Amino acid sequence: MSPFWKWTIAVFLVLLLAAFLVLSKMAGSPRDVYGMVRYALPHMHRGSLKIGDDAPDARLVALDGSDHFHIRERTGGRPLVLIFGSFT
Amino acid sequence: MVQIYDDYKDHADFLTVYVREAHPTDEWQMKSNVKDDVCYAQPKTLRQRVAIANDFIKRFNYPIAFGIDDITNAANDAYSAWPERFYIIDESGRVAYRGGMGPFHYDPDEVRAWLAARYGAVRHDAPASPRPVASLSSRK
Repeated sequence: MSPFWKWTIAVFLVLLLAAFLVLSKMAGSPRDVYGMVRYALPHMHRGSLKIGDDAPDARLVALDGSDHFHIRERTGGRPLVLIFGSFT
Repeated sequence: MVQIYDDYKDHADFLTVYVREAHPTDEWQMKSNVKDDVCYAQPKTLRQRVAIANDFIKRFNYPIAFGIDDITNAANDAYSAWPERFYIIDESGRVAYRGGMGPFHYDPDEVRAWLAARYGAVRHDAPASPRPVASLSSRK
C-alpha cells in the first residue's frame, strides 16, 4: 500500500476516534454513543418552522384517553406556551 | 417550568404536549432513568402512552394542561419537537417563539424572558429547602 493511502487511512481513523470521544462526552459514556446514534439521531430534526409561520395544528388526546382536542383550539385570546416532552 | 407557569398563568395559556419517549427501556435507556425509577418501554399504542403520561402527572402532581400526541406522532412531526422543545404561539395563531432542540438547547429561561418582556419580570427569593422538580425529559 502506498504511503499516501496509509496516511489517509491513519488520519481517517484518528478523526473517527476523535468523533467517538466527543460523542462519548456528549452522550455520557461510550455505551450511550450507540444509543444516541441508533435511537436519538434519526428522530432529532431541526424543523422548518420559523417565527411568524402559522402554528401547525394537531389533534391531541386528553389524559382520560378518550377525549380529543386540537392545539389550535387553545390559541386565540392569549399567547399559548407549548411544552413538548416525555417522562423518560 | 411549573414556576414559570405559576408566574404567568394569568397572562398566557400553557399546554404540555406529551410525545414519544426519549429514553425508553427498549431503546436508549440512561442510568438516570434507572436511578429515578422512570423505566418504560416505548409505547406501541396510544393507550400505553396515555398510561405513562398519567403516571407522570401523578408522580409530580403536575398542574399544567396536558395533551397527548397520537401514536402516529402527528404533533411531534409538525413541530419537530422530539425529545423536548418549547414554542410560543401568539394571539394570531403564529409562532412567536421557537425554542432550540432539546436537550442541549432546551431553555426554560428563554420562555421566561419572552413572557417577562411582555408582562414584566417576576422575581423569587431562593427556596428554603429543595422541592421535587416536575420536568419532562430533564434527565442527562
